Amino acid sequence: MKSRESWLAPYVARYFWQFAIIVGLGAIALLSAGALMFTSGALISKSALRPENILMVYVPIVGVRTFGITRAVIHYIERLTGHHVILRILSGMRVRLYRILEPQALFLSSRFRTGDLLGVLADDVEQLQNVYLRTIFPAAASLVIYAAIVIMLGTFDWGFAIAAALYMGFLLIVLPCISLLLTHRKNRAVKRERSHLYQKLTDAVLGMADWTLSGRHAGFIRSYEEDEAAVARKDAGLRSWARWRVLIGQMTVGLAVVTTLYWAGGQYEQQLLSAPMIAAFVLAVFPVMDVFLPLSDAVERIPQYRSSYDRLHDITARGGGDDGNSVAAGGHSGADSRMMKDAAAAAKGQAPISFHNVSHRYSEAEPWTVRELSLHIPQGHRIAVLGRSGAGKSTLLKLLQGALIPGRGAVTINGVSAAQYGEDIPRIVSVLNQSPHLFDTSIAHNIRLGRRDATDEEVRQAAKAVMLDEMIQSLPLGYDTPMHEAGRRFSGGERQRVALARILLQDTPVVVLDEPTVGLDPMTERELLSTIFRTLEGRTLIWVTHHLVGADQMNEIVFMDGGRITMQGSHAELMNHHPHYQRLYRLDRPGAPAREKRLSEIV
Amino acid sequence: MGRSLMKYSGIRSVLLVTAVLTLLQTAAIIGAAYWLAETISALFAGEPLARQAWSMLLFLLAFAARHVMTTLQQKAAYRFASATSAAMRRELMEKLFRLGPRFSSVKGTGNLVTLALEGVTMFRSYLELIIPRMAGTAVIPAIVLGYVYWLDVRSGIILTLTMPILIVFMVLIGLAARKGMEAQWESYRSLSNHFVDSLRGLETLKFLGQSRAHASMIARVSDKYRAATMRTLRVAFLSSFALDFFTMLSVASVAVNLGLRLVNGEIMLFPALTVLILAPEYFLPVRMVGADYHATLNGKEAGEAIQAIIDEPLDDEPARMLKQKVETPVAENVGSMAGALPFARYAAAEKPTVSLTLSSVSVQHEAEGACSLKDISLHIKGPARIGIIGASGAGKSTLIDVLSGFKTPSGGTMNWSGMPSGSEGNDGGWRSGITYIPQQPYIFSSSLADNIRFYMPDASDEAVRGAAAAAGLAELAGQLPQDIHEMIGGGGRPLSGGQAQRVALARAFLGGRPVVMLDEPTAHLDIETEYELKEQMLQLFRNKLVFLATHRLHWMPDMDHIIVLRQGMVAETGTHEQLLARRGVYYEMMTAQQEGLH
Repeated sequence: MKSRESWLAPYVARYFWQFAIIVGLGAIALLSAGALMFTSGALISKSALRPENILMVYVPIVGVRTFGITRAVIHYIERLTGHHVILRILSGMRVRLYRILEPQALFLSSRFRTGDLLGVLADDVEQLQNVYLRTIFPAAASLVIYAAIVIMLGTFDWGFAIAAALYMGFLLIVLPCISLLLTHRKNRAVKRERSHLYQKLTDAVLGMADWTLSGRHAGFIRSYEEDEAAVARKDAGLRSWARWRVLIGQMTVGLAVVTTLYWAGGQYEQQLLSAPMIAAFVLAVFPVMDVFLPLSDAVERIPQYRSSYDRLHDITARGGGDDGNSVAAGGHSGADSRMMKDAAAAAKGQAPISFHNVSHRYSEAEPWTVRELSLHIPQGHRIAVLGRSGAGKSTLLKLLQGALIPGRGAVTINGVSAAQYGEDIPRIVSVLNQSPHLFDTSIAHNIRLGRRDATDEEVRQAAKAVMLDEMIQSLPLGYDTPMHEAGRRFSGGERQRVALARILLQDTPVVVLDEPTVGLDPMTERELLSTIFRTLEGRTLIWVTHHLVGADQMNEIVFMDGGRITMQGSHAELMNHHPHYQRLYRLDRPGAPAREKRLSEIV
Repeated sequence: MGRSLMKYSGIRSVLLVTAVLTLLQTAAIIGAAYWLAETISALFAGEPLARQAWSMLLFLLAFAARHVMTTLQQKAAYRFASATSAAMRRELMEKLFRLGPRFSSVKGTGNLVTLALEGVTMFRSYLELIIPRMAGTAVIPAIVLGYVYWLDVRSGIILTLTMPILIVFMVLIGLAARKGMEAQWESYRSLSNHFVDSLRGLETLKFLGQSRAHASMIARVSDKYRAATMRTLRVAFLSSFALDFFTMLSVASVAVNLGLRLVNGEIMLFPALTVLILAPEYFLPVRMVGADYHATLNGKEAGEAIQAIIDEPLDDEPARMLKQKVETPVAENVGSMAGALPFARYAAAEKPTVSLTLSSVSVQHEAEGACSLKDISLHIKGPARIGIIGASGAGKSTLIDVLSGFKTPSGGTMNWSGMPSGSEGNDGGWRSGITYIPQQPYIFSSSLADNIRFYMPDASDEAVRGAAAAAGLAELAGQLPQDIHEMIGGGGRPLSGGQAQRVALARAFLGGRPVVMLDEPTAHLDIETEYELKEQMLQLFRNKLVFLATHRLHWMPDMDHIIVLRQGMVAETGTHEQLLARRGVYYEMMTAQQEGLH
């Protein structure tokens, strides 16, 4: 509960006065509606007494006009101020969420496999504005009005003030509480079942080919409709209660009106109240009670916010300590940081990499993902890494980037432990992976992300090197074309080229290629690979790949399985000594070299 | 907004019921105002409280009746809305299945799922709101106004004049707000998208060493976004401000006007009070329409989006178009045996003799567009292994789609014979003879066993285990805590690409269908997995009619017959050796892969 408040309480404290103003304005706007009817009632009854002088009703006339205008004006101001403050809070929350996620960036994709969690989190932050605008502010304003009215009535008659307090309290507190109690469980059930429907429907749409071919789709639709009907029944129950709730609320209003009539009439008979006040009090009951009617609805929303809170809270909790071990400390102390800057600058020219007897596992309970691995990669060396999924390739890359600290052994770049480079590692190691993100800005901006201070000419040179210049120039806005427009025109290979241009500007001695050609057709793959190898001449390349196309361009090929290196050597060595390698190589180059003879024989 | 509503069944009766309820409600509103005004003016005139019990009771009854009417209206609208939206969803689902998997992948799975769940709910709220609102705005203001005129003409005139002013302002401001939005739409879109874009690109930013610095960028863009939003809101809120302002001003004017004439003795207290009580009621229906505007708009748009999919033209009926001849139900007994026997038995069962004839089959996506398949004529008799190759865009996947029945050719005919008959309905009984293995088979969110027996829901665990072993899944199953009953897919343990492919393979082994379609089944897998899977797939291919579309030429020597596609047409056909000897397109593709990178 306490941690849940951490996305709420601090903001209430920090923005207390702004909140107070918003709530105050809200209360005034709502009260104005009541005051309008009050003064109107007073005005016409007083006029009905036919005073000698029109000035006798001057005050109520002014009151009526003023309240008629203030209600609308204040309400407008209140809404604007409310949104202004809330949007400012949201800005802060976005930065906060970003700062929490940023250190875990490299682990996000493996941790949140299901769905687009990042998109969901961004929505959660947006959702939080409704907590304030739809629940907290209206509830607080109603409380203020409640207190104000009870106190005001108390100056007339304590007995009636208590009666009014009970009526209003019923709408303000009792009915919302009953409502929350009654609907809480059902709401949760509906939500749970709906998320089940979501999964089921996703299964249906993604697995449609299978449903159709298996001839089971009619059965599926039937079963889906049954599930929908079950949710619909629960939902109908909730809606039925909502209708009852409104009806009960309105009946309360009706009784309150009659009570007020009875009280005002009695007071008038005893000469405690003047005649015009009867209409004034009675007519004001409607708008005042209207203030409290929507509260049950506002309170019923609370469970809806809960999942958003829970997700944000989970992220916050995880942000603190990671999975127990291994995440590199982000910041360094001043002197330390300067030293690392020097180390990074030194590694900029020469960055030999060494894995010395490295083992790693994510926790004590899990198996080793990398075992006793030793590998030495001199500057400019090109190495291909192959293996099935789960062979330890991605752990190897994370160790190299210093994102994981090896449980045993050491990973060094230019003699310094990889993890020690911390935030400076992108100056030494750059990464081209399967799906580099292209941001929703211009093409030029996307390329310039490699080095922010790159000139336009440097950006163009980079694009030229990856053979995109001509294509970009042909776009109507050239380099200023927004990516989301260009993105549609860019093929998979071209998107990788944009990312490659970025890496050229980043200009690091070591480049990690993490399956950059998966999903591309063979022609595009070969063209992209030759561009990559041509433009990255002289850099150390660590290329995780699933095919052997281009393997002969590597100095060394490493096969991994179960965290260990199972086969290692240059293409020529492996071809000569490992029949298994020959078999695999033949898949990529059918006919070569064993079949080459046959090919030429036939031809 | 009402016209498109009229086509839903049951709308007339629900509108009639709502109209009658609204009439009664209006009567109750007037009655409540009447008796309340009467009680107040009687008390005002000094009559004793005790004599007012009767009119107070009548007020209370009228007031209660009014809200009971509202409840009944809502109930009727809800019932109609849920029935209509449920019917619409059913239609949508049926249609999606008829449009097939290609349509879904073009539209986006997420979009469709959201539309079927959230969209239908929004559409329901739209119906639920629009029916009482329509009746309310049509009936209540008119009758209330008539009664006000009858009581006091001048107040009637004030109210009459305010309504058009109010509506004109509301519409004008609404238009201005929309224009303002549209003017800055582009910058607004990118601002609102910036945060989620940053989160999605976080890993990339980290690789580029920009992720720390980016936090200040988020703060800056967030502030810009806030400023842009506030600019829009200032105008957007004006619309409800106008609504509020003119209503309140109108009520105030009525009150002041009544007051002044009361002073002059031109009107009595009772009618004046009644008018004053009724004045807010006159505006209430319009204000409610304003308040629900966005909800109704969203729901309406969702409804239109759903209707657009329902109205999407089917290319045409596959069953009608493709004259199917179901001649010999050879494979039928194979299917019925599958549940009882371990798969190994029927893998070796009688050879099904399936044959396929395509005569000048063409596929054209858009009426004007280029053909993605052109004039394909083939005759193939199974069992045989048919390789389909060609450059990207040559039409390999389209051909597989046509053969599997996911796409209907725009011209030509396709005849299957020797396929098992029956299965469901008339939409292509021949489909029940086909196993389809795509590049990324879908893993359902259920147990491993249920995934494997997807095509054979009645298959025994023993048969499932047999198929799993044949597909190389025995080792995986052995490692799972619950063996083959472990939950996999979206709601359970995720599988790697190779494992998913093996599940598809196990499905095919278990199903034992005579025809197997494969669309690029191994290109995305690591080469060791590919090597092993190839061995197992070749086992599956025995005694079957297999169509394998791929870029991976290593499959070709294992094929009995190769179809080389180029630009939607058959460039050449033959065996691996024949095609090499021809030195044509196939030979070029082979030699291109011989060369290293350059």
